[in-house]
Amino acid sequence: MDHIEAVRQKATEKYLLNELNPDLRDQFEEHLFDCTECALDVRAAALFVEHSKAALAESHVALPAPVAAPAMAKPGMLAWFRPAFALPLLATLLAVISYQNLVTYPLLKQAAATPQIAPWASIHVSTRGTSTTQISSRSGEGFHLLVNIPPENSFASYTLSLSSPSGKLQWTRTVAATAADDTRSVYVPGAGLESGIYTLAVNGTTTHSENTNLGSYSIDVQVQP
Amino acid sequence: MQFQTFDESYVERLRAGDFRTQEHFVNYFSDLIQLKLRSRLRSPQAIEDVRQETFARVFVALRKEGSIRNPERLGSFVNSICNNVLLESYRASSRSSSLEDEEEKDLPVAPVDILGALVAKQREEKVREILEELPERDRRLLREVFLEEREKDDVCRDFGVDREYLRVLVYRAKQSFKILYLRGVATGSGDTAAVEKL
Repeated sequence: MDHIEAVRQKATEKYLLNELNPDLRDQFEEHLFDCTECALDVRAAALFVEHSKAALAESHVALPAPVAAPAMAKPGMLAWFRPAFALPLLATLLAVISYQNLVTYPLLKQAAATPQIAPWASIHVSTRGTSTTQISSRSGEGFHLLVNIPPENSFASYTLSLSSPSGKLQWTRTVAATAADDTRSVYVPGAGLESGIYTLAVNGTTTHSENTNLGSYSIDVQVQP
Repeated sequence: MQFQTFDESYVERLRAGDFRTQEHFVNYFSDLIQLKLRSRLRSPQAIEDVRQETFARVFVALRKEGSIRNPERLGSFVNSICNNVLLESYRASSRSSSLEDEEEKDLPVAPVDILGALVAKQREEKVREILEELPERDRRLLREVFLEEREKDDVCRDFGVDREYLRVLVYRAKQSFKILYLRGVATGSGDTAAVEKL
């Protein structure tokens, strides 16, 4: 063991606290007997320990009994309430709430209060044909589908399902049947909308939970940049 | 006691029987030998026996030409002789209830060293000062380890610290104490009775 290694390992302190294993202790002693710096260190520390015993013995009566520290508990849910976690977490939450209140919500309120003009197309469920309904919308803009469902007493509700050009189901909505001519406005949001032929499937459900396919309708959507 | 470099000149003075050099040599290595032996031998008398035998053999070896080829490694030489003596001590104690089991005998009273006593008093005060500056918990921790000699792992667990904390605590206290200790070393005061013990 050389001097740098002895210092790096805190060998002096470990030696005095009897923490070195026999091999390391022999190696350190081999060095200690040759190194005046480490010898000085060990002698000073040993003297401090010797004098400490006397001083601590004198103050023994005055000192209160040691209080055992609580055992280190495994970090559980309560660990999140420690200041180290809680403070940055609270700061982040505060920033998010502030942004929502100052930016996001006002924009949403403004959008909700402003009339929106969106393209639309109508689909008559009773019309069975091969024609495709065409509609154009701007990027990010949605469109309305006016779905006209003829009154039919046998159905209690209708289910509308929209599939993307790739055939992936986008959404499904169920509406209750009414006695009169039933025209529903379905808003197709602009988010994620792509150019291609969408398919709207309409199913009728009886009071006995029997499903009937009333038809599938193609909608050719052109998204313009 | 001064700290010196061990070289050819130092070894020559030792061979020549220079009193000051011998005094320094014995003082310097007595402390190290005692520190080394206290973790290996329980009885102070056994420690003293090994210490004396080590010095006796070192001085015999010194008188032989070429016994110390590398004067800079004089410390290692002393350490290796001490190891040999210690091994012999172990063997002897295993054959009979010898050194280890002997009751502590009354040691001869050392000559009065007024300067040494003053320095010791100063050191005690400095240690008290250092201890008083420590937080209450650290003071209790040191007392449990050094004075009550409790198992260190138990103490650390009771105080909610790890062994590294204890090492750092000792390191800091030692660094504070070393300044005064070095001042004492510079005045050349210390345990000057060691040579007379031989």
